Amino acid sequence: MSPESSPLLETRGLVREFDLPGGGLFGRRKTLTAVSDVSFAIGKGEILGLVGESGSGKTTIGRMVMRLLDPTRGQVIFDGLDLTHLSGRSLRRQRRRFQMVFQDPYASLNPRMRAGEIVGEPLVIHGLATSARERREKVSRLLERVGLSGHDLERYPREFSGGGRQRIGIARAIACQPDLLVADEPIASLDLSIGAQIINLFSSLNKTERMSLLFISHDLSVIRYLSDRVVVLYRGRMVESGPTRTVLDAPVHPYTRLLAGISSGTPSETQNGAGEPSASLCPFLTRCPEALSVCRESMPPSLENPESGRQVLCHLVAGHSSWKSSASPSLSQGSP
Amino acid sequence: MAEGDDRTLLEVRHLSVLIETREGMIRPVSDVSFAIGRGEAVALVGESGSGKTLTGLSLLCLFPPGATVPSGEILFEGQDLLRLDAAALRMIRGQRISMIFQEPQSALNPVLTIGTQISELFKSHTDLPDSQVRERVIERLRSAGLPDPERVFKSYPHQLSGGMRQRVMIAMAIALDPHLVIADEPTTALDPTVALQILALLSSIRESRTKGLLFISHDLAHVRRVSDRVLVMYAGRIVEDSPASRFFGAGPLHPYSLALLSSRPSGTGETGRETPLPAIGGQVPPLWNLPPGCAFAPRCPRADDRCRTDQPPWQSEGASGALCFYPHHSPLGAPQHVA
Repeated sequence: MSPESSPLLETRGLVREFDLPGGGLFGRRKTLTAVSDVSFAIGKGEILGLVGESGSGKTTIGRMVMRLLDPTRGQVIFDGLDLTHLSGRSLRRQRRRFQMVFQDPYASLNPRMRAGEIVGEPLVIHGLATSARERREKVSRLLERVGLSGHDLERYPREFSGGGRQRIGIARAIACQPDLLVADEPIASLDLSIGAQIINLFSSLNKTERMSLLFISHDLSVIRYLSDRVVVLYRGRMVESGPTRTVLDAPVHPYTRLLAGISSGTPSETQNGAGEPSASLCPFLTRCPEALSVCRESMPPSLENPESGRQVLCHLVAGHSSWKSSASPSLSQGSP
Repeated sequence: MAEGDDRTLLEVRHLSVLIETREGMIRPVSDVSFAIGRGEAVALVGESGSGKTLTGLSLLCLFPPGATVPSGEILFEGQDLLRLDAAALRMIRGQRISMIFQEPQSALNPVLTIGTQISELFKSHTDLPDSQVRERVIERLRSAGLPDPERVFKSYPHQLSGGMRQRVMIAMAIALDPHLVIADEPTTALDPTVALQILALLSSIRESRTKGLLFISHDLAHVRRVSDRVLVMYAGRIVEDSPASRFFGAGPLHPYSLALLSSRPSGTGETGRETPLPAIGGQVPPLWNLPPGCAFAPRCPRADDRCRTDQPPWQSEGASGALCFYPHHSPLGAPQHVA
């Protein structure tokens, strides 16, 4: 890749394990692998959609990108800098360049602070406004940018509707002009008629401020509308990724086909909730309507189609001429 | 709306519910009228606070504390439910009208097995001998699409996945062969692929031609899959009642329904984010501070002075109807676009 086209954000072989309760003093510690071997990149000014069902690891990935959670293995590289090894002041200096918009605007705003203080806080922390007057002006401009008005400065979060609160959350996130916004289900808790306003706001931030966006959602039609490329997660693994239209119009992985409503088969629920699928086999095996016998024997290969920029983790297309085996970044450079 | 027709299962006439709140008296269900025929699936669509859940609960005469019903009738198979006493209502709830709730996890008792919970229904509502109850429960679980009913019978709720729990809820809802099933946002707690299976199961409920389904949802994509007719609620009132084919085909009559439909990315369309979504400006007015005229007027592109001062009339067009001065395709003229 040439330097100009180097991505703004890159994750390499991200893995996150959580300790589960139990196991006892001498027993083996039980761990849950919430995210395994996730590698993707977001270009400057690009919108990447992260789609998957609840428990698929979307939020965990978002939090690792934000450095709110340390990865067990793997790297998060932001503009050439490995965030996983930064701490203290050097991390804080980078922090203003990537910001997060949370799912629940009710829970993520301090109820005792006024809208103006909430939005102005990042300016204080990062020393971006020297005087109170300058800060006030900047905050008013930010509120207007997200569709609120200067009159809202003195109001408390409870005085806003759900959409209004999400706008405050966005104003706060864009206060220090970040290069990357991570939005975790930002419209899931909003009403139907308000969601569209917020989606429009995101696309305008991307267009006029050239902000890159990691947009996490379970809603395929929103992802399709908003994102340039999409990553489909299933049980913590990337099962398919590539340019949004191509992936969703002609999905390759059976899970993506099911999501996109293209599949003819009905997913089996037989083992759903009964035993966990084996960690060394395809995560989707227990529900896959198209499983082959090889799927029960080995982990599906990670394949890529360089021409269309797509990747898939599946046995079904192995051996097709357009799909080549891709070296998993976690094997080559991810592990410490 | 057909009247006195024996195909009509349920008919709600001019139902209003009043609730005393700190902000004053509110009317979360206001002059609501609709009907559900046998073998018909009717969807009730609206945003949070529009009154759709309360309307659903009203059909079981379950009202929140402090609520009063100043007017209206709920005619179920010819009987006005609002005039029945507690004992008679108990016989109707669960047995002739049943409800499927949003979160199966909180609607099931965590310390009893599924089998015990469903058996209880038969024991309290029927005089079926114990020996036959188990058989009947297993048969119901099977008809709800659960692959291994014997195992599910012995399981506790936490041992099942979300989709299976919702199937158990459906099995319970259809256990006593009720004539009306109310499903309140039955898929919100489920993953997208599982939700589709549950929708297919729900829409099969009405295939018996004797049962009716009221499907309460805010998701138009789901409504499209399940319903024969669509009711849209806004600020406590039903603003549109149209056949699903018309609603999703030629388009709805009410400007709010139309705005809801078009504010969602289509999921198949070729337009991307270069074209902004046609969002509805403003927000739903609080029920204690409704505007004097049409509640949607402040956000409506068709609204004129009359809409802002007078209550709009119910206007029908074929099988469709809307609470609007200027329903779509109205001879009154083209919609006026006010910024």
